[in-house]
Amino acid sequence: MMKLPAGLRHISISTRISILLGLIILVTMGIFSAISLVRQQHDSIDALSRSTLLLGQTTEKILRLSMIKNRRADISAAIKDIVGNEGIRSVRILNHEGIIKFSSRRSELDQHISHTNPLCRNCHAGGDSTSMHPVSSFYTYHYDEKSGIIYSSLPIYNSPSCYNSDCHTGETGESAVAPIKAGGVFIAHHVHDPSQTILGFIEVEVSAKKIIAGLDRSRSQLIILSLLIALAASMIVYFSIRYLVGIPVKKLVNGTKRVAQGDFTHEIPSGKAELGVLADSFNKMQRQLFSTQSQLIESEKLASLGKIADEIANEISNPLTGIIIYSESLLSLGGPEDPGRRDHETILQEALKIRESVRNILSMAKKEKLNFVLVDIEALIDHAISIVRKLSNFRNVRILRTIPKDFPKAKADPGLLEQVFLNLLLVFSDGMQTGGILNISAAYSEKDRRIEIQFADRQGTIPESVAHALSELEFTSESRGTARTTISLSVCKDIMALHSGRIYIHSEAGTAPSIMLEIPA
Amino acid sequence: MSVTVRILAIDEQEIILSSIAKALANTGDARYTVATAQTAVDGLRLIRSNTYDLVFVEAYLPGMNTLEALRRIRSISPASSLVVLSGYISGTSLLGEASEYIDGILSKPFTTEEITSLVSRILVERSGKGRNV
Repeated sequence: MMKLPAGLRHISISTRISILLGLIILVTMGIFSAISLVRQQHDSIDALSRSTLLLGQTTEKILRLSMIKNRRADISAAIKDIVGNEGIRSVRILNHEGIIKFSSRRSELDQHISHTNPLCRNCHAGGDSTSMHPVSSFYTYHYDEKSGIIYSSLPIYNSPSCYNSDCHTGETGESAVAPIKAGGVFIAHHVHDPSQTILGFIEVEVSAKKIIAGLDRSRSQLIILSLLIALAASMIVYFSIRYLVGIPVKKLVNGTKRVAQGDFTHEIPSGKAELGVLADSFNKMQRQLFSTQSQLIESEKLASLGKIADEIANEISNPLTGIIIYSESLLSLGGPEDPGRRDHETILQEALKIRESVRNILSMAKKEKLNFVLVDIEALIDHAISIVRKLSNFRNVRILRTIPKDFPKAKADPGLLEQVFLNLLLVFSDGMQTGGILNISAAYSEKDRRIEIQFADRQGTIPESVAHALSELEFTSESRGTARTTISLSVCKDIMALHSGRIYIHSEAGTAPSIMLEIPA
Repeated sequence: MSVTVRILAIDEQEIILSSIAKALANTGDARYTVATAQTAVDGLRLIRSNTYDLVFVEAYLPGMNTLEALRRIRSISPASSLVVLSGYISGTSLLGEASEYIDGILSKPFTTEEITSLVSRILVERSGKGRNV
């Protein structure tokens, strides 16, 4: 993997990609433009050369007509007219011996061109006037890049009209009977030898500077256009990536930073595209982390409660041992007729229940094996009520219970479930010091196969201390319930969880909240 | 033939000591004599000067490591049977390494029936091993 120099690593991904794309566009367009311009120049020169050939051929036709009629002035006039056109630098006609017979440049008339001239070398390869080099076409052109001029040469082929016609008749109609010698060429009747192939050449010089200038302008325009396209594409890509990738990635990075700082509440906007899905996954991961963290806190809390329960149980164990042994002693000493026997029996019975509860709490703290059997909810509630009725807390509290006939049994550990009922009765009594009516009702949901047991006072409200203790267990760390209430409800919550049930504050619109126990039937 | 069963109970809590004495007295079995100590040091002093058939030791005595206390009692009086009193259910697991020294565990809170049946079982085991009862 290529590594960026340290100085460039802070450059954003959108900037990097934009610069890269701009460079790719510039290089691609540069290569394309260069190839295109070279090709265009080649085609333009070729086209200009063909035009030059047409010009040469036209000149040849004028030459033939004029020569047959011996109207040499017409040739000169035509050449003058042709050269008057834009871009045509010169036109000249040479005979086969290399003597310039007509030219737009009067100064070079009758001058001799050597066989070594590039034009002559097309046929006379060795620079020899006699040796011939076979060529497919005598029409040639040469483009001089330095001067921007096309030099073209067109041969004047011999033809029967050149050596058979009664040519070289003047405009006046008189025949040139006497051979006229001009520049070594006889331009008179039968002056051209029939065996001669080429009588001379027409040379045309055309300037390609205008085309080259046009191409140069095109090159500049292409360079500017390439730069503009590269810049525009880079900008579009920059803003697109910034909007579609940079900003969402930045939000993700900020999210991870906040999670690293312990803030699990920050949600990143999600979507259906890749980054949106990533954000969604991140949010899920964050929620999972939050949940795991909450569970860890909860576990630590439970572990602390387990320790507290262990300590409390140990503190209870010593006096409870005394209560049990001394009750048994009183029962043993008093005999069956002892008037206090019932009281001693009750003391012993309840002390043994406390012992059972203590052991259950400790068992729960140690997650020991539970004793699940089918239990009669009504009997358990009645038993719990019979215990609490004897407590001074319940002197002014009336307990009403509503349980339908043939209520289904629940699969539960009876000792633990009775513990829950006892704890709830006790925490309610704490909140009903001045008295009141406590309603306990049970219902069965056939659909969910769950039993619901509701605890509420007659007004359908929960004592404030109970609500606070329960909400503390569920959501907050603000402690407003008493320590006893909190521990009692914590134990209830754990017992319900062990039964795949739950304890919660039930609240419906129009009714006051109550405490609900839910347990599978 | 009636033989005295000498018992020593070591526990910081007086209610436990008196409860053990009371429970054994309630059985009506006159063989049991119960001595008590509230610290490990006092208990060891009594063991050095007297012979006990059975010693109840609280699992968490202040001032001395339980394992150390059990090891010392066993070395001073190898013939004595040892029962650990534990209020912590979780504490019983700590006694795993002490199992070679002890003959029983009595979880608090206990009933008269539980302590007497434990004592009877230990006495039967002692007679089986030929220890003096």
